[in-house]
Parts: sequence; C-alpha cells; structure tokens
Amino acid sequence: MSRWELYIHMPFGRQKCLYCDFASWAGRDDLMSAYVNAVKHDIETRAASLRREDGPAATIYIGGGTPTALPRDLLLTLVQSAIDTAGMPGEFTVEVNPGTADEETLRQLRQCGVNRLSFGVQSFNNRLLRVIGRIHTAEEAEKAIRMAEKSGFSNVSLDLMYGLPGQNLDDLKSSVNRALSLPVTHISIYGLQVEEGTPFYRMYEEGKLALPDDDVTEAMYDYMTEELPRRGFRRYEISNFARPGFESRHNLGYWQDVPYLGAGAAAHSYLDGKRTENRRDPADYIRAVEAGEPVCFSEEESSRDIAMEEFAFLALRTASGIDESRFTTKFGCSIDAVYGDVIAPLVRDGLLRRESGHIALTRRGAKYGNLIFEKFILSV
Amino acid sequence: MMQNKNIRNFSIIAHIDHGKSTLADRLIEYTGTLSKRQMEDQVLDNMDLERERGITIKAQTVRLDYKGKDGETYEMNLIDTPGHVDFTYEVSRSLAACEGALLVVDATQGVEAQTLANVYMALEHDLEIIPVINKVDLPSADPDRVRHEIEDSIGLDASDAILASAKTGLGVEEILDAIVERIPEPDGEENAPLQALIFDSYFDSYKGVIAHVRVMQGHIRKGMKLKMMATGKVFEVTDVGCFKPQPVDIGRLDTGEVGFVAGALKDVRDVRVGDTITTAERPAEKPLPGYRGVNPMVYCGLYPVDSSDYDNLKDALEKLQLNDAALVFEPETSVALGFGFRCGFLGLLHMDVIQERIEREYSLKIITTAPTVVYHVFKTNGDMVEVSNPAELPPQTEINHIEEPYVRATVIVPSDYVGAVMEISQEKRGEFKSMDYLDTNRVMITYHIPLNEIIFDYFDRLKSATRGYASLDYELADYKESKLVKLDILLNGDPVDALSTIVHKDRAVTRGRQLAAKLKEIIPQQMFEIPIQAAVGSKIIARENVRAHRKDVLAKCYGGDISRKRKLLEKQKEGKKRMKAVGSVEIPQEAFMAILKIE
Repeated sequence: MSRWELYIHMPFGRQKCLYCDFASWAGRDDLMSAYVNAVKHDIETRAASLRREDGPAATIYIGGGTPTALPRDLLLTLVQSAIDTAGMPGEFTVEVNPGTADEETLRQLRQCGVNRLSFGVQSFNNRLLRVIGRIHTAEEAEKAIRMAEKSGFSNVSLDLMYGLPGQNLDDLKSSVNRALSLPVTHISIYGLQVEEGTPFYRMYEEGKLALPDDDVTEAMYDYMTEELPRRGFRRYEISNFARPGFESRHNLGYWQDVPYLGAGAAAHSYLDGKRTENRRDPADYIRAVEAGEPVCFSEEESSRDIAMEEFAFLALRTASGIDESRFTTKFGCSIDAVYGDVIAPLVRDGLLRRESGHIALTRRGAKYGNLIFEKFILSV
Repeated sequence: MMQNKNIRNFSIIAHIDHGKSTLADRLIEYTGTLSKRQMEDQVLDNMDLERERGITIKAQTVRLDYKGKDGETYEMNLIDTPGHVDFTYEVSRSLAACEGALLVVDATQGVEAQTLANVYMALEHDLEIIPVINKVDLPSADPDRVRHEIEDSIGLDASDAILASAKTGLGVEEILDAIVERIPEPDGEENAPLQALIFDSYFDSYKGVIAHVRVMQGHIRKGMKLKMMATGKVFEVTDVGCFKPQPVDIGRLDTGEVGFVAGALKDVRDVRVGDTITTAERPAEKPLPGYRGVNPMVYCGLYPVDSSDYDNLKDALEKLQLNDAALVFEPETSVALGFGFRCGFLGLLHMDVIQERIEREYSLKIITTAPTVVYHVFKTNGDMVEVSNPAELPPQTEINHIEEPYVRATVIVPSDYVGAVMEISQEKRGEFKSMDYLDTNRVMITYHIPLNEIIFDYFDRLKSATRGYASLDYELADYKESKLVKLDILLNGDPVDALSTIVHKDRAVTRGRQLAAKLKEIIPQQMFEIPIQAAVGSKIIARENVRAHRKDVLAKCYGGDISRKRKLLEKQKEGKKRMKAVGSVEIPQEAFMAILKIE
C-alpha cells in the first residue's frame, strides 16, 4: 500500500483570465455533460488498479478552469463518482471561482465529502480584478468565503497574485489584510508570469502592459513572505502559507514524489515513475475516452537523471526540503555522490541549509528558487 | 619533361572581395582543368570558414594547362595566397615561388592598403605584374580612375591593364595570354643540387604532411632521399606531383615547377614554410633566402567552460596544430579559470579562426581571454622576460622598464577622412610617419603605433570613422619602451587573473573605469551584489556594482505539470552554458573580451 492522489481537471470557465495559459476554455458548455461522463469513465479505467493495490486516494483535487462553472448536478455527480471510484480521501479540495459560487452548491459539496475549498481570489481590488479579466468583485469574494464557512468548511484556501499590471505595494498590503480578516486557513501567492500565448503576452509585446518594476515586485514578495508568517501562516512551501495543520496535502504530494493520477483534458499524471499528459482538447479527450483510445501520452523518456533532478528540485520547494535518507532509498546512492559539488557552495553561500538529514532553502535561497533549482539539473 | 620556357608560375594579388577567387575559378574552368560541376564539388569544398569570411587562409595551388596563341602548351601554376595581414610571411613565401602576379583591382573600389602591401612585396621579389581591372561590367565601374590610381600609387604602367569581369568571363583569355607573354619563364639549373622552396603545407591522414613546393633548381623524383635545410629532417619521397587542384602523383618535379612532395612526414613542424628542401646526398650549399621561424604576434588563454573538457581541448589543439605550424600552445593555469592553454597566433584573424574551429569542429565550449602582445620586461636584476600573459607580469618593484612591440601601420582612405584617421591614430599612441596622395582623392597615411593598440579595436574604429573606406596593413617594426602597468579587476573583492590587462600608465584610470562599467553591463545579476573594482597595484581606481537579482521564484504549478517546470530550468541553465563560475560569480564569455569592447 502506498500513498497516491487523484487530480481532476475541469477545463471550463465563464471567461478565461487574461494571464491564464492553462488548459481552460470558455464557451464550450455544450461539452460539459459529455466531459463529466468521460472523466468518470477515465477515472474508473485508470484508478481501479490503484485503488485495489494501494487503497483509497490520499487526496482528491478538482481544479480548473472553473469547476464551479459546471451545473450543480454535474459537479456533484463528478464528486460522488470520484469518491466511489478512488475512495474517500483524507483531503478533498475543489477550486471555486468566487463569481460562480452559490451556498447550496457549497453545502452539498461538503455533504458529499469535500472538506477543503480553494478560492481563486487573486486580489481584493476591483480595478485590478477587472484588469486581469476576473469575473468577480472583491465583495463577492468575501461573501463567498464567508458562505463557505457557513456551509461547514473549516479548511479554506485563497490565492493572491502580485506583480499585477497597475498594482502597487499598498494595493497588495490591503489585499493581504482583507484576506487575513476572513476565515481562511491557507493562502497561496503567485507572482504574475506573462506567458506566451496569453492576451497579456500580446499586450506585453506591444508595450501596453504596465507591470510594476522589479523593485516594487520584490517589495511585494518581501512583504508577503514576512507578513504572512507573522500572522500565523507558516510558509511550508515556496508559494504556500498555512495555519499549522492546514497545509495542502495534495499540493505537498507533488513536491514529495507522491504518485498521482490526472483525469480530464490536459491533466498530468505521475505513476510508476513516469510522467504523462492527457490530450489537451476537451472534445478530443471525450472522443478518445469514448473510443477506448489512450488518453495520455508519455511526456518524454524517463531517466534516472531526470528522476533525480525532479526529486531534488521539487523537494526543495518545501520547507522541510530534501529528505536525504529518502533520496538514498530511492536512488541507492547518497545525495552527495550526485549533488555534493552543487550543495556545498550553496550551503556556504547561505542559500541552502543542511541539518538533521534534510537539505532546504534558506529564506534568502527561497527568493532565488529558480537559480538554485537550476543547479540541480544534470542533463544540461 | 616540360621545358622551362613553357612554365609560368604566378599568383593573384587582390583585396578581399575584389574577385580573386572568382577569377581563379574562371581560369581553372577556361583551361578545362575542371568542369563547372567538378568546380562546385571540389574547388569550393574547402574550409567552411574560408568561404563564410571570403578569405583564403591556406594557400591553394593549381596547375593549369593552356594552349597559347603560338600553339604551344604551357604549364601554368597558380599559387593563391592567403589574403590577410596575419599571414604576411606566408604570402611572401608564395610570392617568392612565382615569376609574376596578377594584380586584381575592383573597378568600383580602387587600390586598398592590403593590396598595396602585397604589390610592394611582389615588386621586392622582382615579379612581373599584370594589372587586371575587375568587375568592369558593374554600372559604377570606373576603370580609368582605377588605372590612374594603380599608376600613381604603385608607379606601375597600367596602360595595358586588362579589363575583365570574373563574373561574366570577360577578359579571361586575354589574361591567360598575357601570362604566357609577359611573365618570364623560370630559370634555374636542372643539374644543380636541389633547392625547393616550401611555401605551404597541410596534413593528410594517409600521406602525412604534404609540402607545397617550388623547385628553384635541381629536381625531385620519387624515392629520393631529401632533407629540410632548416629543421634537418630527412625523408624519402613517397609521392611527388602537381595539384589539379587535388594532388596528382606524377613521380617527378623538375626545375621551375610547382607541386607537392610527401614522404611519411608526421609533424607539420618539420615542414616549415620558407624552408628549403635539398637532397640528402648532394645538398645545396646554402638554403634559399628569406626563411623565418614561426613568430606568434598575439597570445590568448583558451579554457574549457567545463573543466572536464581539458583533455578534449588539448586534443583539439593538437589536431589543429597538425595542419597549422603557426599555432603554438602550452598549458597554463588560471586561478579564475582553472586549467587551460596559452596559445600564440599570427594575428587576430588566425586567433578567431582557431577559436571557431575548436567550437565547430570539436564541439567544445571555450572561454577565450583577451588577446595580448608579447612584452619585453626588463627586470631590476638585469634579466629580460617575455610576457604574453598579463597575470604573469612581475611585481612593479621588480620591473626596471617594459618594452612593447610597435608596428608600421599603413592606412589608405579618401582624403575627407584624413583628420579622422589621424585623430584615432594619435589617440592610439601612434606616431605620425608620412602621408602621400595616391591620387587626388585617396591618401596613404603611415603611423608607428603599438601593436597592442591595433589589437584593441583600432581597425574597427577606423572603419566606423571612415564609413568603411579605410583599409589597413601593418608589419612588425620594433620594440620600444613604454610606461605600462597591469590593470587588475576584482570581483567580489577577489582579483580575477584572467581579467587582467596591460595598459599604458596614462590610460590606466580611464581604461579601468571603462572596463568596470563594461563589466557591469556584461555580468548578469546574481543572487548577491557583486562589487567590481579596477586596480593598479594596490590602488583601486574604479568601482561599480552589479546589483543583486531581485528575485526569481518559479511559483505556479497547475495540475502537477512537472516536466514543464524542469524544461524551464533546463532552458535557463542552457542559457548560462557560456558562463564560467569564478568563485560564486558566474562570468559570461564576453566579460573576458570586455577590454576590447570599450570605447
């Protein structure tokens, strides 16, 4: 028996945000019912053996897109079927767009066994919400979160973004404070990344995106990474903060080498040491499931080097860092045999901390995560 | 056996882009030595680099058989010469192997400094010169002006200059006939002891080193035992023949002929350009004049980016050396860069070419340090040491004085730009020597100027100040005492030896400031602040700071897409491949060349 997780991707939404490059489609509502059926079928096909051999999924997570863009019945069917197939997990999260949340839906989700909600709030500033293409207001977000509490949820997360066009440090501070005044247990922070293929990218290329400069963005980052822990939210992962005991187990699984099954269009899986990606287009995904064709494809050859790279840089995202003995167990050699030359100078420069069998980023190291992770890449 | 009177040996003198290679191709084609298709397959199939840069690095030799107007068949040997100032000595040996030369001048451009230098050299060797005005088919051609220019600048009668277009084939026959009629036949005694001049060589993996030779007197036969007069190397002839243009073994070369000799010679250093080959049994009394040993003018350090590539780099240099006697190298250690090699080159082009070949042909990533000249350092104890690596300059207290190499630089420009040339040359510590009008519009200016300054962007600046009109030639003149000091660069408080340079004392402060500022531009932000300091001795003369990176957090990770994250990290790391970690600081390759890039 070993731990595994289930991720379900719901690629629908009322409107795609301007920064989003993730698999998400607006205006394909006609597909919803067929899609949910396909996902159910996909989970039944691929999760059955996991369930048999490894027991119920440790966590289930329905993300998107906007899962709550589904009609209530469909969403509840999906949740119920996931539990029927994968088993009742210890943590079941559904992502919620504050603009599409209603109390009845939340209440019924809770009754079905969902015990954690994640709200894509991004900001409590209405001007900024419009700028980034969100469909909800700050007031709706507050209302939705209070509604979650009333519906019986005691584990609620919200996402905040920084480095948004036109955002200044005071905007951010006020968003953080409004977030902290709400009944939330978990906060994720994301710096805006302008990704190719998004409307923001085109605007950026045309010089029409007034992003805050590096100094301001850094000040925002510094503020959040100092303020949130001070207010009781421990930074347990590079961009995630939680009250003690409310860390997202599903999220941690990604960094801790836990296998996961991804169902739905464009979802990723990590099973038997192999990473695969599902067909990206929902219609194509539905067709493949119905035709009994494979829905997922290997992303590339897996190799020992790649496995070690990922093990290392993913674990480094967490506060506890790389567990040296787990590395040794998994790869049959000490981490120093592979990364000794990388680790020593980073420890010397105060970017990594090595103690009691763990190697983790220091506070300063966390700031330069990418530059440090890069050094753990063996293939280049 | 070919009668001497039917042999013509000639080369082509031309500036880059004036059409030398095209004309050579036309001659090969016209005489039927190769068909047009073979031409494309073979003639052009030389080093990619040569083609890309439009220059000849190795001499090409080809024998053409041509039936003259008199009905006789002539054996013509075309010796194509390297076309760059780095290879002046090699050019002089090629010219010494000829009786005549075609002077090819672009009808739209006129005479250039490099051409002039080579013509003078040809005249010194008493070569018969046939002026050819090329590209007369172009609308902007001005053959009359160019004719006058040849007469005024060189003092050559250009009234019978041949008007040609290598592109269309116009004038090719006329050129061939002129070669027959105007270039003298070679002289030399067939029965005298052998004297054959080596004017080039290359390494063939089957036959060993192949020497390009001109037999001045005597003859060579397969099986003969021959001797190199300078190196003393004795060998037996296994192959001897001519170039068509691939080597064809014909078993013999007679007096006056040009061709090749091979004899299981393994080391290109045994076959020196300018050396004389004679017979082992009945050697010539003395060698042909003009031999000179290899004399690198410019040195730089070559280091593998990945230190585990050291042996591969050594291997690459050894292989390149097989074919290039002018390349010298020895192991060197740098505190900053680790184990590498100090390499000597004939000049900057030679250096560039070697560097590029290492990267292309051997797929090695290398760091090159800024080129330096060879300084003569006179110590207080009376010793003189040659220093070609700034890091090895003795402490100031042990130095009595330093001498640096000076060159005689010749610049030709339209008269409008005389002021600009003089300004730049003065600024480069040049000493004005002379100025002559080649015609009403073009001026030849000569300066006595430190070679070090030539290396430092002199020509680039000349070109940009003269809209590309300036042409430059130079030759080593002498060594002269200069007030020179070592300029050190400290990163993060630690001196980086590979960034040290030797500069004139009066320029040290300016150079130090410029270099520190340039390095600030080049060195990317890192996880901590990096102070950059320039120092002479213990005195800090300039300071800059590379600010710390703001932050770099890869945050988003939807739905467990780990592969994408890893690919981003791979790409990020790939982008830094050209960087060398010195201590905790990552320094890009350009940093080591920064000194060349400052204005």
